[in-house]
Amino acid sequence: MIYSLRHRTAYAYAQPVDLAAHLLHLKPRALPGQKVISARLTCLPAPDHHTETHDHFGNPATRLFLAAPHTSFEVEAESLVDVCFAPPPPPEATPPWEAVAAAAEGVETADFLPPTRLIPPLAAATEYARPSFPPGSAVLAGLLDLNARIRRDFTFQAGVTSITTPIAEVMRTRRGVCQDFTQVMLAGMRGLGLPGRYVSGYIRTRPPPGQARRRGADQSHAWVSAWMGAGLGWVGLDPTNGIVVRDEHVVLAWGRDFADVSPLRGVLLGGGEHRLTVSVDLESLEDALPAR
Amino acid sequence: MPEAPWPAALLENGPDEMVSGHGDIRAHWRGVVGVIGSLGRPAVAERGQRLTRAMLEEGVASILPGAAGGGAWRLDPVPLPLEPREFEALAEGIAQRARLLDAVLADLYGAQETLAAGLLPAPLVFGSPAFLRAARRGMSAPHRPLLHLYAVDLVRGTDGRWAVLQDRTGTASGLGQLLENRRLLGSAMPEAMRTMLPRAITPFFDLWQEALSRLAPRHKPDPAVALLSPGTSDAHWFEHVVLSRELGCALVEPGDLTVRGGALYLKTLVGLQPVDVVLSRLNANGLDPLDQPDSHAAGGVPGILDAARHGALTLLNAPGASLAEMPALPAFLPALSARLLGEALLLPSLPTHWLRANEAPPPLPEGHAAWAFRPAGDGLAPEAWAPTPGLPQAAIALPPLPVAPALEEGRLNPVPLVLRMFAISDGVNWHVLPGGLARHVSAGTRLTGRLPGAGWCKDVWVPADPGEAIIGPAAQSAPPLAIRRTPAAIPSRVADNLFWLGRYVERLDRGARLLRATIARLRRGGLSPRELAELSALTLCLREAALVDDEARVSAGSLTPLAEALMRGARPGVRDLHRRIGGLIEAVRDRLTADMHATFTQTLRAAEEALAAPLPDLQDLGRALIPSLRFANAVAGVAAENMVRGGARLFLELGRRMERAQAVAGEVAVALDGPPARIEAGLRLVLELCDSVITYRSRYLGVLQPAPALDLVLADGANPRGLAFQLQAIADALGEVSADPDDPGAAEAERLLAIAEDFTPRLLAARDQAQEAALLPPELRRMAQDLATLSDVVSRRYFALLPPARAVGVDMGEAAVIEA
Repeated sequence: MIYSLRHRTAYAYAQPVDLAAHLLHLKPRALPGQKVISARLTCLPAPDHHTETHDHFGNPATRLFLAAPHTSFEVEAESLVDVCFAPPPPPEATPPWEAVAAAAEGVETADFLPPTRLIPPLAAATEYARPSFPPGSAVLAGLLDLNARIRRDFTFQAGVTSITTPIAEVMRTRRGVCQDFTQVMLAGMRGLGLPGRYVSGYIRTRPPPGQARRRGADQSHAWVSAWMGAGLGWVGLDPTNGIVVRDEHVVLAWGRDFADVSPLRGVLLGGGEHRLTVSVDLESLEDALPAR
Repeated sequence: MPEAPWPAALLENGPDEMVSGHGDIRAHWRGVVGVIGSLGRPAVAERGQRLTRAMLEEGVASILPGAAGGGAWRLDPVPLPLEPREFEALAEGIAQRARLLDAVLADLYGAQETLAAGLLPAPLVFGSPAFLRAARRGMSAPHRPLLHLYAVDLVRGTDGRWAVLQDRTGTASGLGQLLENRRLLGSAMPEAMRTMLPRAITPFFDLWQEALSRLAPRHKPDPAVALLSPGTSDAHWFEHVVLSRELGCALVEPGDLTVRGGALYLKTLVGLQPVDVVLSRLNANGLDPLDQPDSHAAGGVPGILDAARHGALTLLNAPGASLAEMPALPAFLPALSARLLGEALLLPSLPTHWLRANEAPPPLPEGHAAWAFRPAGDGLAPEAWAPTPGLPQAAIALPPLPVAPALEEGRLNPVPLVLRMFAISDGVNWHVLPGGLARHVSAGTRLTGRLPGAGWCKDVWVPADPGEAIIGPAAQSAPPLAIRRTPAAIPSRVADNLFWLGRYVERLDRGARLLRATIARLRRGGLSPRELAELSALTLCLREAALVDDEARVSAGSLTPLAEALMRGARPGVRDLHRRIGGLIEAVRDRLTADMHATFTQTLRAAEEALAAPLPDLQDLGRALIPSLRFANAVAGVAAENMVRGGARLFLELGRRMERAQAVAGEVAVALDGPPARIEAGLRLVLELCDSVITYRSRYLGVLQPAPALDLVLADGANPRGLAFQLQAIADALGEVSADPDDPGAAEAERLLAIAEDFTPRLLAARDQAQEAALLPPELRRMAQDLATLSDVVSRRYFALLPPARAVGVDMGEAAVIEA
């Protein structure tokens, strides 16, 4: 599935910002199953200096530096991405989850187990996840079950949480948005010793024909990438929608939690209050073509 | 959780550094023992006391009222000699270990092949708070060296060889103390120095200075080097001052630096100056709020990691280098050494085990006293004597600590110690300092983790080998420096601190004078109406200076309310000024010579001690203020005599003149504010407060008239206590700072000067001088106002402290605006 992606972020400041530095994770990551045909960033005002690197996790990262006073700042990320992630193996063909946990000390997975500031150890999340993983059960069966339960048990509600809301509170209120559900699922998995990545990206704006509109469309989205063991690798699971990631998602970047991959983060001198406008459009090219 | 008890076996039966197993004094100790024997124990005890006093009084660690930090290091008069051949072997081992740790860091921040090969467990590295993901370069090799300054804490293993207790690869502290120890011990124990001829440590610092220049990006000639300190609140601030001086580099704080166009700059009075090499003493996790979302946005330098990543500056040690301090790392070093260096590890670690969560340690190896437990990945955490459940740990087998004689309550007793040694890299070779810092350990002292800001230590000497070559820095051909005579390179923050130091010292001087003038009158008793009028004016001035509260007033009936208000408010008010001044002296310390700093601190401490003592009555209070006046005079004298004109002195001067001008204008306004018939009391007071009584008397004998008196204090540019003198000095200083003949600030000072100078002809032309003088107070108050405004303008223009940085980010929950 080929998508045209447009993500526009605009800051309006009450007072001039004297100096600004922004760190962006806004260029889609090239992956097996995700071909980045083109990717472009446009900024207004244009930065005085910018750099492009790959971070520790291998994600493309852009840094922008603005040294002239400005009262607004706009970034538009546009890209063309061809997505088709391989289907996961049949759940019963995956190893027992205990074996996966025991094998998780390797360099590929060890980073996605220790506690982080946003995903601290949380007994409530571990205990919530545990029923999905009866002793000896196949790891993917448990992961799919957990993914579906979060979709069922948690209420999608924008505005009740923010990036500063602790996951303990999300566990209690069972409300939040995609990043909250993703971090709750990761806390549960990691509590059981199962490595999981926080994935930042988008989900298609218009649902596939005949299906309900996806939650988390028209904005930055987040989901889980879970490890199934050495031979099988990772599978994308979207607990906000209770689905497996196949061809409706575009991956920007992954890390341990939101803080590693936040799409746009800045440090400002001056500026006073600010107003933020974000718009995301992930359009499949098929939808964009006139009906035949 | 109650702290587990300190294992006593650590402090017992440790190897004796001085005495061999056969009870003989070891050869390299004979010099020390001989000197102590010939001096005699009382003399050694006396030297010990002298050292302690010297540390407190002139030591860099001496603490001022208001300065942060607590306590000072105490130095034992008995050095710890290291056997020269043992030192050579140790130096070889330290250099190899430093090379190895640099190679480990380069791999962990690069391709991570050691993790893939299973030489080091990935959970240990990824679970360490010191693993700085922002410093990871993926598959591209990091800039070498990552390690530049390395320190190592050593004890004797059970085989009698030195073994590593912990590695310090982040911001290894102790070199400032070491320099100080050597200087003070040299003067306290000259006989020992002459006998033992310890190898000099200065070549090490010369090599270090040269190494810093060599490590500049792209081998830039004559690079600008800065030592980045968290500031005066840091426990090791004094060390930063000493090192910046020793290395001849700028001492800066995060707020002084800014990244523009991908390069690093220092904010100075005349704009941004490039910085090429930064010796960072900041915790790497607080270095860059852009790359480190968990760090506090107000600290650090946004973009500095990116600039370093792209080779625009050299950060030393490389950010994230403290990863090599992981307490569990030594368990894997022999294998890493074989793989990365192809060499056997020369300098062993104490037996160390990496324990997964809840894993029990193996049996304690023979000859060891206890297991010490530390979080496996956190080198800043000190040891515990029981494992923390649920966390990966490093278990380190500790042998009984080595002991050496130290002076304790007049006697020489064997005291357990830990030896810290240092090495630096110039990018090619490692150089080990021939000496060290030996820390005395008693039950409860922590052995590992950060070096404490205070304690008890020994200087470590390597007696010279006869015939040893004198090493010095290789002659480096440096292009001649451009001659600079402008105050350009002063960081804005330093100028700001000097300005306020000048203001507060002057405020202290004025306050003490006002208080003494008031107390003198109160004690006289039986006051005339004229003296009562003077007292009311003084009371108003004291209230203005916040040295008495609003209860203070003068009535003919009773002076008790004023006396009580003085006893209540004067002492805390003056001590508050001491505190502020002490803090500012610390903050500008790198701009003061050691002698200047010693003069400032000793006189300020005397001033503070006088006020800290019990003061039962006003007479005592008056007397206790004399040291404060002495301090203010010392600052003025030292500044005039010892500071280069322009530069730092300019801002100290500007602050003092600004404060004094405002004070004179304000006080004269108060003194003249009364019926014209009482003018004489006001004039008398004005002359007294401006220290101009003698000058007046010599000019005009006993006749007191408004025009000559006010001419002396307001318009006479030759009176250093008068208003006109201050205004002229302000105009000159501002003109010099800006180098602009039409500087608006200087022009404003000139305008005020013209007003002041005009007072004399006005008074002389008036039919009744007293009537005319009574019109002055509103004008003087306006002038004080204008001076306050000018002070703000100067602050904004030159010190221009930017508002604190803050972070912004896009929140997932924020409402998205859907575009049609």
